[in-house]
Amino acid sequence: MDQIKRKRDRLEVIYDILKIIRHHNNSIKPTPLLRYSNLSSQSFSEYLSELLEKGLLKEIIDDKGKKFLTLTDKGFKYLEKYKLILGFIEEFEL
Amino acid sequence: MPSFHLIDPTRLAVELAYTLIVVFLCFTIYYKTREIYDLTKHEGVNYFRLTFLFFGFAYISRFISILLKLVVITFDIDFPRHIFGNFPMIFIGYFSTMAILSLIYSILWKKLHIKHIFLIFNVIALLIFSIAFISRSPFILILAQTVLLIVTSIIIAYYVMSKSGKISRLYILYILFFLFWIINIIALGPGRFIPFEVQTVFQIISVAVIGIIYHRVAKWTK
Repeated sequence: MDQIKRKRDRLEVIYDILKIIRHHNNSIKPTPLLRYSNLSSQSFSEYLSELLEKGLLKEIIDDKGKKFLTLTDKGFKYLEKYKLILGFIEEFEL
Repeated sequence: MPSFHLIDPTRLAVELAYTLIVVFLCFTIYYKTREIYDLTKHEGVNYFRLTFLFFGFAYISRFISILLKLVVITFDIDFPRHIFGNFPMIFIGYFSTMAILSLIYSILWKKLHIKHIFLIFNVIALLIFSIAFISRSPFILILAQTVLLIVTSIIIAYYVMSKSGKISRLYILYILFFLFWIINIIALGPGRFIPFEVQTVFQIISVAVIGIIYHRVAKWTK
Protein backbone atom coordinates (compact mmCIF):
# COMPACT_ATOMS: atom_id res chain seq x y z
CA MET A 1 0.00 0.00 0.00
CA ASP A 2 2.89 2.33 0.86
CA GLN A 3 4.44 1.74 -2.53
CA ILE A 4 1.19 2.56 -4.29
CA LYS A 5 0.99 5.80 -2.36
CA ARG A 6 4.61 6.63 -3.14
CA LYS A 7 3.95 6.06 -6.84
CA ARG A 8 0.85 8.23 -6.80
CA ASP A 9 2.80 10.87 -4.98
CA ARG A 10 5.56 10.74 -7.54
CA LEU A 11 3.18 11.74 -10.34
CA GLU A 12 1.74 14.39 -8.08
CA VAL A 13 5.15 15.78 -7.14
CA ILE A 14 6.04 16.05 -10.82
CA TYR A 15 2.75 17.84 -11.42
CA ASP A 16 3.47 20.27 -8.57
CA ILE A 17 6.99 21.05 -9.80
CA LEU A 18 5.76 21.72 -13.33
CA LYS A 19 2.88 23.82 -12.02
CA ILE A 20 5.26 25.99 -9.98
CA ILE A 21 7.40 26.65 -13.04
CA ARG A 22 4.36 27.54 -15.16
CA HIS A 23 3.11 29.82 -12.39
CA HIS A 24 6.43 31.74 -12.55
CA ASN A 25 6.01 32.65 -16.21
CA ASN A 26 7.70 29.45 -17.22
CA SER A 27 11.10 30.51 -15.92
CA ILE A 28 12.50 29.89 -12.45
CA LYS A 29 15.90 29.34 -10.87
CA PRO A 30 16.56 25.95 -9.25
CA THR A 31 16.91 27.34 -5.70
CA PRO A 32 13.47 28.97 -5.42
CA LEU A 33 11.97 25.96 -7.17
CA LEU A 34 13.48 23.73 -4.48
CA ARG A 35 11.94 25.95 -1.81
CA TYR A 36 8.47 26.04 -3.39
CA SER A 37 8.41 22.33 -4.12
CA ASN A 38 8.73 21.33 -0.42
CA LEU A 39 11.16 18.54 -1.14
CA SER A 40 14.48 17.61 0.43
CA SER A 41 17.55 18.61 -1.59
CA GLN A 42 18.25 15.01 -2.47
CA SER A 43 14.69 14.29 -3.62
CA PHE A 44 14.61 17.53 -5.54
CA SER A 45 17.85 16.67 -7.36
CA GLU A 46 16.46 13.26 -8.25
CA TYR A 47 13.20 14.71 -9.58
CA LEU A 48 15.04 17.43 -11.46
CA SER A 49 17.32 14.91 -13.18
CA GLU A 50 14.32 12.75 -14.00
CA LEU A 51 12.32 15.63 -15.45
CA LEU A 52 15.26 16.85 -17.53
CA GLU A 53 15.95 13.32 -18.72
CA LYS A 54 12.29 12.76 -19.67
CA GLY A 55 12.24 16.04 -21.54
CA LEU A 56 9.55 17.67 -19.42
CA LEU A 57 11.93 20.47 -18.41
CA LYS A 58 14.92 22.15 -19.94
CA GLU A 59 17.69 24.29 -18.55
CA ILE A 60 18.39 27.71 -19.99
CA ILE A 61 21.50 29.73 -19.14
CA ASP A 62 21.13 33.49 -19.60
CA ASP A 63 23.78 36.05 -20.67
CA LYS A 64 24.98 36.43 -17.07
CA GLY A 65 25.50 32.68 -16.75
CA LYS A 66 22.47 32.15 -14.48
CA LYS A 67 20.60 28.90 -14.79
CA PHE A 68 16.81 28.87 -15.30
CA LEU A 69 14.37 26.03 -15.64
CA THR A 70 11.52 26.14 -18.14
CA LEU A 71 8.82 23.76 -19.27
CA THR A 72 9.07 22.06 -22.64
CA ASP A 73 6.02 21.33 -24.81
CA LYS A 74 6.01 17.90 -23.19
CA GLY A 75 5.95 19.54 -19.75
CA PHE A 76 2.92 21.63 -20.72
CA LYS A 77 1.28 18.51 -22.12
CA TYR A 78 1.84 16.72 -18.80
CA LEU A 79 0.07 19.53 -16.93
CA GLU A 80 -2.76 19.49 -19.42
CA LYS A 81 -3.22 15.71 -19.30
CA TYR A 82 -2.50 15.15 -15.60
CA LYS A 83 -6.08 14.41 -14.55
CA LEU A 84 -6.56 12.01 -17.45
CA ILE A 85 -3.27 10.26 -16.60
CA LEU A 86 -4.34 9.78 -12.99
CA GLY A 87 -7.80 8.65 -14.06
CA PHE A 88 -6.35 6.07 -16.43
CA ILE A 89 -3.92 4.68 -13.85
CA GLU A 90 -6.68 4.38 -11.27
CA GLU A 91 -9.19 2.92 -13.73
CA PHE A 92 -6.83 0.07 -14.62
CA GLU A 93 -5.30 -0.27 -11.14
CA LEU A 94 -1.81 0.16 -12.56
CA MET B 1 -7.03 -30.23 -59.49
CA PRO B 2 -7.13 -28.67 -56.05
CA SER B 3 -10.28 -29.22 -54.03
CA PHE B 4 -11.39 -25.69 -53.15
CA HIS B 5 -14.63 -26.93 -51.64
CA LEU B 6 -12.80 -27.91 -48.46
CA ILE B 7 -12.53 -24.26 -47.47
CA ASP B 8 -15.63 -23.25 -45.57
CA PRO B 9 -16.17 -19.63 -46.62
CA THR B 10 -18.48 -18.84 -43.69
CA ARG B 11 -16.02 -20.12 -41.13
CA LEU B 12 -13.14 -18.27 -42.74
CA ALA B 13 -15.15 -15.05 -43.02
CA VAL B 14 -16.16 -15.21 -39.32
CA GLU B 15 -12.57 -15.92 -38.28
CA LEU B 16 -11.26 -13.10 -40.44
CA ALA B 17 -13.82 -10.60 -39.15
CA TYR B 18 -13.20 -11.67 -35.55
CA THR B 19 -9.43 -11.40 -35.94
CA LEU B 20 -9.63 -8.01 -37.63
CA ILE B 21 -11.88 -6.55 -34.92
CA VAL B 22 -9.82 -7.92 -32.01
CA VAL B 23 -6.49 -6.95 -33.59
CA PHE B 24 -7.78 -3.48 -34.41
CA LEU B 25 -8.98 -2.96 -30.81
CA CYS B 26 -5.75 -4.33 -29.32
CA PHE B 27 -3.50 -2.16 -31.49
CA THR B 28 -5.69 0.89 -30.96
CA ILE B 29 -5.43 0.45 -27.18
CA TYR B 30 -1.64 0.23 -27.59
CA TYR B 31 -1.56 3.34 -29.76
CA LYS B 32 -3.98 5.40 -27.66
CA THR B 33 -1.98 4.86 -24.45
CA ARG B 34 1.28 5.93 -26.08
CA GLU B 35 1.02 9.53 -24.96
CA ILE B 36 0.34 8.63 -21.31
CA TYR B 37 3.39 6.37 -21.34
CA ASP B 38 5.58 8.95 -23.10
CA LEU B 39 4.70 11.56 -20.50
CA THR B 40 5.03 9.40 -17.38
CA LYS B 41 7.27 6.41 -18.29
CA HIS B 42 5.03 4.60 -15.81
CA GLU B 43 5.95 0.92 -15.60
CA GLY B 44 2.35 -0.21 -15.08
CA VAL B 45 1.24 1.69 -18.17
CA ASN B 46 4.14 0.20 -20.13
CA TYR B 47 3.16 -3.40 -19.33
CA PHE B 48 -0.54 -2.65 -19.82
CA ARG B 49 0.24 -1.44 -23.35
CA LEU B 50 2.51 -4.39 -24.08
CA THR B 51 -0.33 -6.74 -23.10
CA PHE B 52 -2.47 -5.51 -25.97
CA LEU B 53 0.42 -5.34 -28.41
CA PHE B 54 1.27 -8.99 -27.71
CA PHE B 55 -2.37 -10.07 -27.78
CA GLY B 56 -2.77 -8.36 -31.16
CA PHE B 57 0.15 -10.35 -32.53
CA ALA B 58 -1.15 -13.53 -30.88
CA TYR B 59 -4.49 -13.15 -32.63
CA ILE B 60 -2.77 -12.49 -35.97
CA SER B 61 -0.64 -15.64 -35.46
CA ARG B 62 -3.76 -17.59 -34.60
CA PHE B 63 -5.46 -16.52 -37.81
CA ILE B 64 -2.36 -17.37 -39.87
CA SER B 65 -2.39 -20.80 -38.24
CA ILE B 66 -6.02 -21.36 -39.30
CA LEU B 67 -5.31 -20.07 -42.78
CA LEU B 68 -2.28 -22.34 -43.23
CA LYS B 69 -4.23 -25.39 -42.09
CA LEU B 70 -7.00 -24.61 -44.55
CA VAL B 71 -4.49 -24.14 -47.37
CA VAL B 72 -2.76 -27.43 -46.56
CA ILE B 73 -6.07 -29.32 -46.46
CA THR B 74 -7.57 -27.65 -49.50
CA PHE B 75 -4.61 -27.98 -51.79
CA ASP B 76 -3.57 -31.30 -50.30
CA ILE B 77 -0.01 -30.01 -49.87
CA ASP B 78 2.44 -32.65 -48.83
CA PHE B 79 4.53 -30.46 -46.58
CA PRO B 80 6.13 -31.55 -43.32
CA ARG B 81 3.38 -31.19 -40.73
CA HIS B 82 5.58 -29.37 -38.26
CA ILE B 83 6.04 -26.48 -40.68
CA PHE B 84 2.41 -25.75 -41.48
CA GLY B 85 0.77 -27.26 -38.44
CA ASN B 86 3.06 -26.35 -35.58
CA PHE B 87 5.24 -23.49 -36.72
CA PRO B 88 2.55 -20.84 -35.98
CA MET B 89 2.28 -22.40 -32.51
CA ILE B 90 5.65 -20.84 -31.68
CA PHE B 91 4.29 -17.36 -32.31
CA ILE B 92 0.90 -18.01 -30.72
CA GLY B 93 2.58 -19.49 -27.63
CA TYR B 94 5.16 -16.73 -27.36
CA PHE B 95 2.90 -13.72 -27.91
CA SER B 96 0.00 -14.93 -25.77
CA THR B 97 2.25 -15.95 -22.87
CA MET B 98 3.98 -12.57 -23.00
CA ALA B 99 0.57 -10.87 -23.06
CA ILE B 100 -0.74 -12.74 -20.02
CA LEU B 101 2.47 -12.14 -18.03
CA SER B 102 2.57 -8.45 -19.02
CA LEU B 103 -0.98 -7.86 -17.82
CA ILE B 104 -0.29 -9.56 -14.51
CA TYR B 105 2.87 -7.50 -14.02
CA SER B 106 1.10 -4.25 -14.92
CA ILE B 107 -1.07 -4.80 -11.84
CA LEU B 108 1.53 -6.29 -9.51
CA TRP B 109 4.66 -4.30 -10.42
CA LYS B 110 4.34 -2.02 -7.39
CA LYS B 111 4.52 -5.04 -5.10
CA LEU B 112 7.14 -6.97 -7.02
CA HIS B 113 9.68 -4.52 -8.52
CA ILE B 114 11.64 -7.30 -10.19
CA LYS B 115 14.72 -6.38 -12.18
CA HIS B 116 15.00 -7.78 -15.69
CA ILE B 117 11.36 -8.86 -15.54
CA PHE B 118 11.03 -8.62 -19.33
CA LEU B 119 13.87 -11.11 -19.71
CA ILE B 120 12.22 -13.46 -17.21
CA PHE B 121 8.95 -13.25 -19.15
CA ASN B 122 10.81 -14.11 -22.33
CA VAL B 123 12.36 -17.17 -20.69
CA ILE B 124 8.92 -18.37 -19.46
CA ALA B 125 7.36 -17.74 -22.89
CA LEU B 126 10.29 -19.51 -24.58
CA LEU B 127 9.83 -22.48 -22.27
CA ILE B 128 6.09 -22.74 -22.93
CA PHE B 129 6.28 -22.45 -26.69
CA SER B 130 9.28 -24.81 -26.85
CA ILE B 131 7.25 -27.47 -25.04
CA ALA B 132 4.29 -26.83 -27.36
CA PHE B 133 6.52 -27.00 -30.43
CA ILE B 134 8.50 -30.08 -29.42
CA SER B 135 5.35 -31.96 -28.43
CA ARG B 136 3.73 -30.79 -31.70
CA SER B 137 0.44 -30.46 -29.92
CA PRO B 138 -1.73 -27.40 -29.37
CA PHE B 139 -3.11 -29.17 -26.31
CA ILE B 140 0.19 -28.83 -24.47
CA LEU B 141 0.00 -25.10 -25.16
CA ILE B 142 -3.61 -25.03 -23.94
CA LEU B 143 -2.61 -26.95 -20.81
CA ALA B 144 0.40 -24.70 -20.11
CA GLN B 145 -1.61 -21.53 -20.62
CA THR B 146 -4.54 -22.82 -18.56
CA VAL B 147 -2.15 -23.49 -15.68
CA LEU B 148 -0.65 -20.03 -16.18
CA LEU B 149 -4.15 -18.54 -16.25
CA ILE B 150 -5.21 -20.29 -13.02
CA VAL B 151 -2.00 -19.36 -11.18
CA THR B 152 -2.10 -15.73 -12.30
CA SER B 153 -5.83 -15.44 -11.56
CA ILE B 154 -5.23 -16.60 -8.00
CA ILE B 155 -2.35 -14.14 -7.59
CA ILE B 156 -4.40 -11.21 -8.93
CA ALA B 157 -7.46 -12.21 -6.89
CA TYR B 158 -5.30 -12.32 -3.76
CA TYR B 159 -3.78 -8.93 -4.56
CA VAL B 160 -7.09 -7.28 -5.45
CA MET B 161 -8.83 -8.73 -2.38
CA SER B 162 -6.05 -7.63 -0.06
CA LYS B 163 -6.12 -4.14 -1.59
CA SER B 164 -9.81 -3.34 -1.75
CA GLY B 165 -11.53 -6.32 -0.11
CA LYS B 166 -13.64 -7.07 -3.16
CA ILE B 167 -13.25 -8.37 -6.68
CA SER B 168 -13.34 -5.48 -9.15
CA ARG B 169 -15.16 -5.53 -12.49
CA LEU B 170 -11.81 -4.98 -14.15
CA TYR B 171 -10.53 -8.26 -12.69
CA ILE B 172 -13.57 -10.09 -14.07
CA LEU B 173 -12.98 -8.51 -17.50
CA TYR B 174 -9.36 -9.66 -17.52
CA ILE B 175 -10.28 -13.20 -16.50
CA LEU B 176 -12.94 -13.36 -19.23
CA PHE B 177 -10.43 -12.01 -21.74
CA PHE B 178 -7.95 -14.76 -20.81
CA LEU B 179 -10.66 -17.40 -20.75
CA PHE B 180 -11.82 -16.57 -24.26
CA TRP B 181 -8.24 -16.67 -25.42
CA ILE B 182 -7.92 -20.25 -24.08
CA ILE B 183 -11.19 -21.16 -25.85
CA ASN B 184 -9.77 -19.68 -29.03
CA ILE B 185 -6.70 -21.89 -28.81
CA ILE B 186 -8.85 -24.94 -28.07
CA ALA B 187 -10.64 -24.18 -31.34
CA LEU B 188 -7.30 -24.65 -33.14
CA GLY B 189 -7.15 -28.30 -32.09
CA PRO B 190 -7.99 -31.05 -34.53
CA GLY B 191 -10.71 -32.51 -32.33
CA ARG B 192 -13.28 -29.69 -32.84
CA PHE B 193 -14.39 -29.95 -29.22
CA ILE B 194 -16.33 -26.74 -29.62
CA PRO B 195 -18.94 -26.57 -32.39
CA PHE B 196 -18.52 -23.70 -34.81
CA GLU B 197 -21.75 -22.00 -33.72
CA VAL B 198 -20.80 -22.12 -30.03
CA GLN B 199 -17.33 -20.83 -30.85
CA THR B 200 -18.87 -17.92 -32.76
CA VAL B 201 -21.00 -17.01 -29.72
CA PHE B 202 -17.85 -17.06 -27.56
CA GLN B 203 -16.11 -14.86 -30.11
CA ILE B 204 -18.94 -12.32 -30.04
CA ILE B 205 -18.79 -12.17 -26.22
CA SER B 206 -15.01 -11.93 -26.44
CA VAL B 207 -15.29 -8.92 -28.79
CA ALA B 208 -17.72 -7.34 -26.31
CA VAL B 209 -15.21 -7.85 -23.46
CA ILE B 210 -12.32 -6.26 -25.31
CA GLY B 211 -14.73 -3.58 -26.55
CA ILE B 212 -15.50 -2.67 -22.93
CA ILE B 213 -11.77 -2.51 -22.13
CA TYR B 214 -11.26 -0.32 -25.21
CA HIS B 215 -14.12 1.96 -24.16
CA ARG B 216 -12.57 2.37 -20.69
CA VAL B 217 -9.21 3.20 -22.25
CA ALA B 218 -10.77 5.66 -24.70
CA LYS B 219 -12.43 7.51 -21.82
CA TRP B 220 -9.00 8.61 -20.50
CA THR B 221 -7.07 8.98 -23.72
CA LYS B 222 -9.05 11.64 -25.59
